[in-house]
Amino acid sequence: MKNFEFIKAPDVKAALALLDKEKDNAYLVAGSTNAMVDIRAGKVNDRTLIGIRDIEALSGIKFSRGKITIGAGTTISEIAESSLLAKKAPVLFQAANQFADPTTRNSATIGGNIANASPAADTAPPLLALKAEVVIAKKGSKRRVAMEDFFLGVNKTVLEKDELILAIEFSANPHSAFYKVGLRNAMAISVVTAAASVRKDKDGNITDVAIALGSVAPKPVRAFNAEKAVLGKKADEKTIADLMKAVSKDISPIDDVRASAEYRKDIAPVIVKRVFCKACGICPNEGRTK
Amino acid sequence: MSKHDITLNVNGKKYELTVNSNELLLNVLRDKLFLTGSKYGCGIAECGACTILKDDESYFACMVPAVAADGWNITTVEGLADGDKLNPVQQAFIDNSAIQCGFCVPGMVVTSTALLRENPDPDEDFVKDYLRGNFCRCTGYVAMVKSVLDAASKMKEAK
Repeated sequence: MKNFEFIKAPDVKAALALLDKEKDNAYLVAGSTNAMVDIRAGKVNDRTLIGIRDIEALSGIKFSRGKITIGAGTTISEIAESSLLAKKAPVLFQAANQFADPTTRNSATIGGNIANASPAADTAPPLLALKAEVVIAKKGSKRRVAMEDFFLGVNKTVLEKDELILAIEFSANPHSAFYKVGLRNAMAISVVTAAASVRKDKDGNITDVAIALGSVAPKPVRAFNAEKAVLGKKADEKTIADLMKAVSKDISPIDDVRASAEYRKDIAPVIVKRVFCKACGICPNEGRTK
Repeated sequence: MSKHDITLNVNGKKYELTVNSNELLLNVLRDKLFLTGSKYGCGIAECGACTILKDDESYFACMVPAVAADGWNITTVEGLADGDKLNPVQQAFIDNSAIQCGFCVPGMVVTSTALLRENPDPDEDFVKDYLRGNFCRCTGYVAMVKSVLDAASKMKEAK
């Protein structure tokens, strides 16, 4: 085992003070499911792990006036079991229920999943589709960053070394859905994921839409071209055909061990169609979701 | 390397230990408490052989720095039986011949125990989905899934 120090932070104030003091050397851990893998692989050496698992203020799912706030330390299990999210943000609920395996879900947190910024992070497309905001703190200040500005590249985010994610906030949207293509069910890192949320007026015209994809670019991405293709329209056959055509402009997939770029280009429009239709409540194909 | 005093409650027994900051819970259980039922398989949360319970929830002991487990109430595979009486999952694994080489079985049994505490009446799909983080390379999944369903029905009968 490589060397690492471990300090448990009892509360947010202590965690921020430790981050301020340790700076470059600090490495925040909650469930440590990312950290331990990187330490064992020799990617993370001689760092001071700051344990924030037990900070109660970072944990929990709150709903007030249409807004949902999820503490950064909330585990994927809590999200996967939340009847509130099942109803008010099914896109995130469905992603949590396909995340790794039940044991990892007990440790892994939503804050950790986005801070790690894997292009395949399962909670990222749902949060992008919900137009979430990330609430970030450092010693003496706080800021909010829109989810679409949060990721910079593979394992890169806007987070500074002394910053901590406090929470993730978004407006509830029951008309939202998630779909994941993996190589198998168990422990599968995604080949492509897609998430969508829509709002319609009483005539069925789409007044608001957000579509996001994972594992098709160096970071989880919003599909702005696809969104443009459907905004203001009715979710009919022509709109869906335009949507599928537009998706290719939003993605830049690569060949990797899990799939070829070509395959990803082929399936991305198909699963975007599925999540869009499901979010609109018109798709007969339920897909592999809970 | 700093040292830390921690308390672990393992299988109903309280242990006061001094651990290095880079020690993992799995190593403490195996090398200090000699509870070698939990296995070191992959070390990267892929295989499930090190699964333990914290209260009623499953955790991979290879992912947890021992310091982070200070105060935890832990059950390892050694703590599942009540004296000589095996827990329903353990008994069902024997009754259904679900053990081949046996390396994955402690993790399988512990995860299955967490499964039945969460959902005492699972169907086959639920069991398969729940055990997705536990790998058996022999491979005896069919008998294992059957065992968990068997344990569930025996527990229901016993009520």
